[in-house]
Amino acid sequence: MDYVYTILILVGLFVTLASSFDLVIGHCGLISIAHPIFYAIGAYVSAMLAKEAGVPIPLAILCGGAAAFVSSVLVALPSLRVSGDYLLIASIGFQLGLIEFAKHIHSIGGAGGLTNIPSFLVNDYGRLSYVLLVLAVAVLTVLFVRWLTRGPYGRMMAAMRDDELAFPMLGRNAIWLKVSIFAIGSGIAGVAGGLYAHYFRFLEPDQFGLLLSSAILTMVVVGGMRTTMGPVIGAIVLQILPQAITFFGLPPSILGPLQGLMFSGLVLFFMFVRPQGLLAAPDIWAGREPKAGRRSGLADV
Amino acid sequence: MFEVLKVSGLDKRFGGIVVADDVDLALVKGRVLGLIGPNGAGKTSLFNLVCGVVKPDAGSIMLAGREINSLPIRERARMGLARTWQNLRLFQSLSVLDNLMLGQRDYSADNLLDIMLRPGHVANRERDSLDRAYAILDQTGLAEIAHSPIGDITFGQQKLVGVARALMNDAQCLLLDEPMAGVEGQAYAVIQRVVRDIAASGVAICVVEHNVGFIRDLCDEGVFMFAGKVLARGSVESLIADPQLTELYFGT
Repeated sequence: MDYVYTILILVGLFVTLASSFDLVIGHCGLISIAHPIFYAIGAYVSAMLAKEAGVPIPLAILCGGAAAFVSSVLVALPSLRVSGDYLLIASIGFQLGLIEFAKHIHSIGGAGGLTNIPSFLVNDYGRLSYVLLVLAVAVLTVLFVRWLTRGPYGRMMAAMRDDELAFPMLGRNAIWLKVSIFAIGSGIAGVAGGLYAHYFRFLEPDQFGLLLSSAILTMVVVGGMRTTMGPVIGAIVLQILPQAITFFGLPPSILGPLQGLMFSGLVLFFMFVRPQGLLAAPDIWAGREPKAGRRSGLADV
Repeated sequence: MFEVLKVSGLDKRFGGIVVADDVDLALVKGRVLGLIGPNGAGKTSLFNLVCGVVKPDAGSIMLAGREINSLPIRERARMGLARTWQNLRLFQSLSVLDNLMLGQRDYSADNLLDIMLRPGHVANRERDSLDRAYAILDQTGLAEIAHSPIGDITFGQQKLVGVARALMNDAQCLLLDEPMAGVEGQAYAVIQRVVRDIAASGVAICVVEHNVGFIRDLCDEGVFMFAGKVLARGSVESLIADPQLTELYFGT
């Protein structure tokens, strides 16, 4: 049963990651694949606060989210002021650089990893309680992204994706919008990181590299960008698939590379065969009726 | 004669290409100025300089008495400068109504904290924008297609949406870049009427247009540009009648 709970927790965490990543890359159109580094920042900050400073774990997890939020602003602000393309380079540089850096910091475990992270809920209330917490965060994230992208803020995101010159000419602030969304998405990833740390109780820098980037990207692409349920389905499918192939009893030397191949293969397959992902949805904003059904065309020229 | 926009000594060159050469221009409250000249004369470039899309090499741009040279595009828009684009630049994945909603000078969701913490405030401002958008859709005869995606409407209607979206700003200065190119029939008449109404309400308007009939009917004054220079100004009739300018316009 513990195995099932662990899988459910991983599914919940990846739904949170994929949904928040879809907010950044899908809805806002920001090209960055460094989502895992903000997951890592949340995980490490939360773990260290709880382990070394005795901060209550719920507060530590929120601080992890805040740390991810703030560091993402520091990465996004300078690069987005130049141009959107620089965000990809700056964020990957930040991701890989910070991973290498963390490997050499002994106080956070270095390359060997951070162990003995305090656990949360599981000892007192059992694993199921943690499963419920993680799934609740996942559901809240999905609902939050849906709410944000279907409101007036989502209208701005759609417009900015469409035309970056007409957008400021209407008085809208594109940089502020991009930085805000990048920070919110990263902050959610940071909270997910904290949840990861206090369940698995072990972190190592290499977990948060490009393989995880490609896994999250695959989830969003396979599920369907800019759909509510796309990242959810993508996260479930891509979390279950690697678990399923472990039952074939392949040696670990094959299993590791096989997962990477599977992710890249799926992205390529979907890009060519079904670029809209498993779930295709019409654009949220095209031809949508207003909520209150105000007026229905009383044209008088 | 309140000068809403005043451009003085504006210079801009891209390498060897001069797009603005000591340009002086004033837009007056309630009047329509026509920018005339052949392709490449620097008319759209002048709009881009005024809006902040392109930074000038020298000269000053004053909007309502304040120098705006160093302001970013969005700040100029928020001071009441609106424009349309030659290639429309409508938001393709949005409906007509949503295109207009984004043109409100103080957009409901400009401040992310408002969305999170003051949803009632945002809802009120959305309602105000919606009312204004419907008023403008009525004025431009677009109310029937308010919920249509941009890709589903005719080119003439798209041109109208471009103008309507610019009107949402409640601007004191409006720049129209070839509003009539490719437009005929009903949309033509509507744009003509709307421009006249907006000018009458006290907005300073500048129009770049190749349609001489439109310019003659609508503009109080014309400016003839060539190779980044203002060559002549005066009534549209006198500019059209000038054989030298006609020769420059059509080439020899």
